[in-house]
Amino acid sequence: MGELADSILAGDRRAAGRLISQAERRDPQAVEDLGILYRHGGHARTIGITGPPGAGKSTVADALITRFRKLGQTVAIIAVDPSSPISSGAVLGDRVRMMRHCDDEGVLVRSMATRGALGGLSAATGDAITVFDAMGFDIIIIETVGVGQSETDIVGHSEAVILLQTALGGDGVQAIKAGVLEIADLIVVNKKSTSGSDKMARFLRESLHDRPMRADGWDVPVLLTEASEDIGIDKLTDTLVQRFYHNSTQDRVSVTRRRQVAAHLTALADVEVRSLTKRLVAGDATPEAWQAVLERRSDPWTLSAQLFEKLR
Amino acid sequence: MQTETEIQSGGGQPVRCLLGMLGTDVHSKGIRTIAQLLRDAGIEVIYLGEHNSVKGMASAAVDEDADLVGLSFSSAAYVTYTRQLVEEMKRIGAQDIPIMLGGIIHPDDHAELREMGVRGIFGAGSTTEEIVEFVRSMGRSQ
Ligand code: B12
Ligand SMILES: Nc1nc2c(ncn2[C@@H]2O[C@H](COP(=O)(O)OP(=O)(O)OP(=O)(O)O)[C@@H](O)[C@H]2O)c(=O)[nH]1
Ligand SMILES: [Mg+2]
Repeated sequence: MGELADSILAGDRRAAGRLISQAERRDPQAVEDLGILYRHGGHARTIGITGPPGAGKSTVADALITRFRKLGQTVAIIAVDPSSPISSGAVLGDRVRMMRHCDDEGVLVRSMATRGALGGLSAATGDAITVFDAMGFDIIIIETVGVGQSETDIVGHSEAVILLQTALGGDGVQAIKAGVLEIADLIVVNKKSTSGSDKMARFLRESLHDRPMRADGWDVPVLLTEASEDIGIDKLTDTLVQRFYHNSTQDRVSVTRRRQVAAHLTALADVEVRSLTKRLVAGDATPEAWQAVLERRSDPWTLSAQLFEKLR
Repeated sequence: MQTETEIQSGGGQPVRCLLGMLGTDVHSKGIRTIAQLLRDAGIEVIYLGEHNSVKGMASAAVDEDADLVGLSFSSAAYVTYTRQLVEEMKRIGAQDIPIMLGGIIHPDDHAELREMGVRGIFGAGSTTEEIVEFVRSMGRSQ
């Protein structure tokens, strides 16, 4: 026990990979090692990248790695892609975009599948952050799956959420409809050479302008990038650094940290609750109770109340 | 086939299979096809696509905690590349991660590849069933 943690603290990447896999399958053995590592963390800066499928999240991540490496920072990436709901398999394809860093010791990419989680991340995202933070990575970038309009788990796990948009994805009304717009700390219109990009950026700036000032006093910027050409990435990096600075002042540190702990706890509790729900529904309801509902002598509400009565 | 519910209940874990091509080989249709076939069989494929370096492939296998590495070759240089990868994996202490080959692999080379330690060879005529069964058998049951 605790051996993996020791190896990881000594910089063993194989051990890090193993522990994250254990966490992904909710292996009880992982808990002790993660607990040890958690006590060594708290130094990494976390960046979330979210946005619709194909907007360029991985390409932006790749460009940011290059930039942060030039600044002498080490970078770990957690790249999440969806599991097939039918087969539960997955094609994790984010890493392809980051292969130019594959020989760089200061960069570590871990791909993860959602495995049934619905918020746009893997349930083990917080665990992977714990591991990379303890290993001493300066920057941790988390890429969500291509999101629709409601996958917002990323907000808890990162102190700077980048929302990517492109002029290809609707006319901006989609952008304001989407719950994800509210969670953005930075909005980036990528593929800026696409016609309509400037209009999109203007529209987004206007929508932001109409909103009340944020509680943390942060002014959400709208930037334009051509990530595949490394254009606009310097400005994006500067803004991220400003965001980190903003979080470090004005007593924001504890707020961000609290949010991160809450997100981590929620993810862990969700898994427990889901398996509990499954047990309640599949195991605890007697055949007689099922039969009564099926024959409409009882109803789902009554049965649900009966099942939860036991827990109280 | 494994359902999502089975996974959540811990009733089996997806195998993590790294899949990529080395060198200048451009025949990417095969690897794309096999990636989807494996996904549909419940495997988590870490897809690296074409034009990878031996070093990048080996370090990806470590960082991604892959259960096995699959290489696709339709060019003649596969014996050389595979040997280089086997050696690099040894150098970084990852020689226990199994390697499988697919694509156009001539039967004449099988013995040499096996000797290097290649665990699975799926040349022309291999069925999806055999491939899937092999990949599943490489999952760690810890
Ligand atoms: C399409 C094609 C091309 C396309 C490729 C486009 C692309 N993006 O893929 C283009 C035109 C670019 C091309 C170029 C060349 N080609 Co070409 N090409 C073919 C062709 C006609 C079909 C290949 C194909 O896509 N098959 C369909 C896929 C789905 O099948 P597959 O690759 O076999 O994959 C299946 C299995 O093998 C398996 N599998 C594949 N990979 C893996 C990996 C693992 C781990 C596992 C388990 C299974 C697995 O799963 C797949 C699904 O069942 C073949 C001939 C043929 N009929 O096979 C020649 C062929 C592969 N090409 C050949 C050659 C020589 C070339 C060139 C060198 C030609 C030249 N002189 O310029 C160049 C290569 C340049 C380079 N740097 O590599 C030769 C290779 C000879 C050899 N290796 O001994 C072939 C066999 C033609 C021949 N008979 O001479 N080619
Ligand atoms: N022209 C142009 N293409 C880009 C730009 N950024 C990314 N792309 C291309 O857009 C495609 C998708 O890019 P990715 O980075 O994979 O997008 P993603 O958002 O990570 O995609 P998912 O993870 O699948 O949701 C790729 O073909 C990229 O090369 C850009 O700024 N300009
Ligand atoms: Mg991506």
